[in-house]
Amino acid sequence: MVYFCQIMVSGIVVGSIYALAALGLVLIYKSSRVANFAHGQIIAAGAFITYFLTVDLGLPIFFSFLASMVITFFLAMSVERIFLRRLIGEPIISVIMVTIGLSSIIDGLIYLTPFGTENYSFPAFLPTTPLTVYGVSISWTQLLGVIITFILIGAFSWFFKKSTVGISMRAVSDDQFGSMSVGISVPRVFGLAWATAGLSAAAAGCIIGNITGLNFDTLHAFGIVVFPVVILGGLDSILGAVVAGIIMGLIQQFASGYLDGNWGLSGTGEVAPYIILVIILFFKPHGLFGVHEIERV
Amino acid sequence: MKQHFGVRQILGCALVLIMATAFTGSGIAGQVYKLGFSGAITGPTSDAGNPLAKGVEDWFKYVNDNKLLGDDTIDCTIRDDQYKTAVTKRNFEEYLDEGIVFYLNYSTGSTLGLKRDFEEVKMPTAPSSYHEGNLVDSNYIFIPVATYSENMVALAEYVVNNHKGSTPKVALFIHPSAFGRGPVDDTKKAVAKGLDMEIVEVVEHGKDLDNSAMLQRLMSKGVQYVISHTVQSPVATMLKDAMRLNVNAKSFGEAGKLTFLGAHYTGGSDLIALAGDAAENFYWTCSYNLTSEDNAKSKKQLELAKTYGRDDKAANSHNYAAGILQAQIPTQAIMMAKKAGLDITPANLYKMLNMMHGENEFESFAAVGPVSFSEDDHVGVDMVNIYKVENQVFRAISSIESVYMKKLRTGM
Amino acid sequence: MAQNHWLSTGNFFTSYKQEQRNFLTHLDTSIFTFFLILLFAWPLFFDLGNKMMFVVDNLMIAIVAVMGLNLVTGFAGLISIGHAAFVGIGAYTVASFCRTLGTSHELITHFWPLVIVISGLVGAGFGAFVGLPAFRLKHLYLAIATLSFQMIFQWVINFMTFFNQGQTIFVGRVSWVTGRVGRNDHYEFWYYVILVVVVLLGFGIRNLLKTKYGRCLIAVRDNDRAADAMGMHPGLTKVYAFALAGFFAGVAGALHAYVYRGVGFESFTLHESVSYLAMAIVGGLGTLNGSFWGPVAIKFLDLQVETLSEVAGQYLPAGMNLATALKPFTFGLVIVLFLMFEPRGIANWWRIVKSYTKLWPFRY
Repeated sequence: MVYFCQIMVSGIVVGSIYALAALGLVLIYKSSRVANFAHGQIIAAGAFITYFLTVDLGLPIFFSFLASMVITFFLAMSVERIFLRRLIGEPIISVIMVTIGLSSIIDGLIYLTPFGTENYSFPAFLPTTPLTVYGVSISWTQLLGVIITFILIGAFSWFFKKSTVGISMRAVSDDQFGSMSVGISVPRVFGLAWATAGLSAAAAGCIIGNITGLNFDTLHAFGIVVFPVVILGGLDSILGAVVAGIIMGLIQQFASGYLDGNWGLSGTGEVAPYIILVIILFFKPHGLFGVHEIERV
Repeated sequence: MKQHFGVRQILGCALVLIMATAFTGSGIAGQVYKLGFSGAITGPTSDAGNPLAKGVEDWFKYVNDNKLLGDDTIDCTIRDDQYKTAVTKRNFEEYLDEGIVFYLNYSTGSTLGLKRDFEEVKMPTAPSSYHEGNLVDSNYIFIPVATYSENMVALAEYVVNNHKGSTPKVALFIHPSAFGRGPVDDTKKAVAKGLDMEIVEVVEHGKDLDNSAMLQRLMSKGVQYVISHTVQSPVATMLKDAMRLNVNAKSFGEAGKLTFLGAHYTGGSDLIALAGDAAENFYWTCSYNLTSEDNAKSKKQLELAKTYGRDDKAANSHNYAAGILQAQIPTQAIMMAKKAGLDITPANLYKMLNMMHGENEFESFAAVGPVSFSEDDHVGVDMVNIYKVENQVFRAISSIESVYMKKLRTGM
Repeated sequence: MAQNHWLSTGNFFTSYKQEQRNFLTHLDTSIFTFFLILLFAWPLFFDLGNKMMFVVDNLMIAIVAVMGLNLVTGFAGLISIGHAAFVGIGAYTVASFCRTLGTSHELITHFWPLVIVISGLVGAGFGAFVGLPAFRLKHLYLAIATLSFQMIFQWVINFMTFFNQGQTIFVGRVSWVTGRVGRNDHYEFWYYVILVVVVLLGFGIRNLLKTKYGRCLIAVRDNDRAADAMGMHPGLTKVYAFALAGFFAGVAGALHAYVYRGVGFESFTLHESVSYLAMAIVGGLGTLNGSFWGPVAIKFLDLQVETLSEVAGQYLPAGMNLATALKPFTFGLVIVLFLMFEPRGIANWWRIVKSYTKLWPFRY
């Protein structure tokens, strides 16, 4: 029973990180219909910037957390401005390939720094003894990660529902011409969408970096796993991203917890998200909460 | 008068002739031996490959600068294949076109993949991959140090010999690839041949963010020792999780806790950098001499690094030592061939390597034991040191040669 | 006014069949034949050395694979991020034969054309299987489904002991009418084989687009609801497109296995899939000659970057990981620049050059 609860807790922790990372993807897709394959790299960049600010410049960790969010905000916005602006209106395959190309470029840039190949770990800023409840243990870093994730998700939801900027972003994702006619600057909204995605990416990166240490390969793989999460939840639903993130986290942990080692299986945690994705797509082709697009001839 | 004239003339001619032969003689003597190295200087596993390549480069520069081969020099082309087998193959073909006499390889995948090519072209090769499978069906691969299987079985033997109580329960934590799985089979065979321990579970880790579930599962199954064979990050994550759950042993075999041990690539200074305090009391096997030991051998290693301007991290890395040793093997073979008056060709170097035992074995400052090869023994250094992390540094606590590995190899 | 058979001086077609000919003028045919003869003859005069022949062989295998990818992504409009998995399936079919029959079995060494065709068919089968979601999924969802297939393929290969858990499975040397193909002739021999395959498949694609199915493909790409309304079956068309792409990829994979004389999983990872997509796009999506330009450009770029980073590595401080950095950086930069400034790829440049020379010395 304790084992089951432990896996459940791990699943929720991992899942909420997935949710935070997926959030950024959904944000971009919702407003500009672009699937951003470079998201994993932005997460990694956010994590490395935080490390750099904390260790090399000596800022207290909370400040560097906020600072890296701000830096990634502008980084993502400039990426959108330089590369994606020209591609408004091009077929989706071109846009996807541009983001793939971008992911390679950011890869290359990260490899130029020592972060690309070396392993680093954040200095511990929380007590290292874990919290134990009924035999289930969770470390302070993980707990903090979950809390921050939910705070950010709540903030984003509020932002989209209540603030003017958020509403204009939703308007743009619904109908570009309509929102232009009421005076919303569509290109500016695109830039903002990318920038907020950068924010959430940096946050996700910091949290992952604190929990697992900074290894570029791991962060890289993260960027790929985020896609099944987003698709499972539906590409344009924030709630979907959160729910799907937690589901994927749980599935992963349960798969590796119960399937690995039996029947000679191993590494099931890696492949389980994809298998589940394919199965669910058969029944819900637009993901769990995705909007069924009505196409007309 | 004619005689006087004749003697001077003859002496003059003789002098000219001597000078001529001396000059042309040195022209012939200054031969260049071509070697080739292909490895992951950048890309996956380059945190090991990069210092290794530096070690190879520095040793050959040292040989040339200090004229260890007389007037002859070694020209070793060092190429980066980024761990891609296709690129390694391409590099190998190019080296063959250039006419190398010895080949240095790096990754497990490509060494296994090119095994047949080495046999076909009869090229003696020294890989940085110590995978036991490299020795199967191959006559031209010479592994510098104890194989991964040897490392793991040696650790298993150490556990069995030092465990207080009945049969120790062991879990294996390995990398999910051919590199990780190889030693598991050999360890199981050793147990079948009578090594008194019980392998409770073999865990192939993924890119886990959290190992708590796994550790709790192992504890509930009564596991006392965890032997790892993977790279440093997953081990560091596991050690940190273990410290957090307070299941890591403070002394060897402490009851009710897990003692962590690891083979070659699990440890090194990177592990301590990643795991910090959690790395205390981690046991590690390695055939290379560590600079933290601060003996005469490590001084030589640091000196070499300083001569060629390598930073501290590379100079103190056991991978740098690995590169040095890998480069010393062909150097030694070439020296033996020259002493025997043979031409430097792949066939002759192969013969020399097979004779490198007994009085021909050589000591290297990079390794903990002598390097010896023979027709039946293509593993250079058979000894491994067992290191333990004390106060954030690795300290040698013993040296062993695996007994069971020999039994498995000879099929006893 | 007689029709000039050597130059196109006007529109003299009297039947649809005439208009759809591959080579419209005798000049076209003769240039093409000359070019083919050149391709077959140059290895007899120039000896490139094993390494370059190896590179050329690799290049041509990529051409075969990208032809298939162009079919499914360019002509049918279905984004496939799992193409390397299909190529891998072809290669692992050959490997399965080797595992079960032994590497020097007659089937593998003497009947290798049959084995290559079988691998193609197995690839087609899996292609159809992966294409099944195309009945219900659209655009990005389908793309991610193909990505899932790629990851599942990677996991299966790494996990199953039948596939040696991702390690190299050896494939033996083949025999031809002249006897066993030895080490020295290996790359040259396979150059000819792959060249024949490329020419045959290239003609295949050219002709495919003239058939009813070819027009179906393009209609479904442009607007599948309209195509449905006109009586075509978009779902089946899409599945068939995936199957065809799978066939091409399977053949490419089998050739890959034979040229490398071994199959390891590293050549069939997600990175390779992305690479194939890049080749298709840089070459020109939806064109036949794009499938030739793309791989040439990307592979050429790869080699140059390697040489450049070797040279640069000697002059720059050792701390900078220039070599690792340059490869993905230039790869990404090339893709992004092409998409930003020439989204129709190199095929577009070729088209411009061709139309310019056709009318030369006239301007229009």
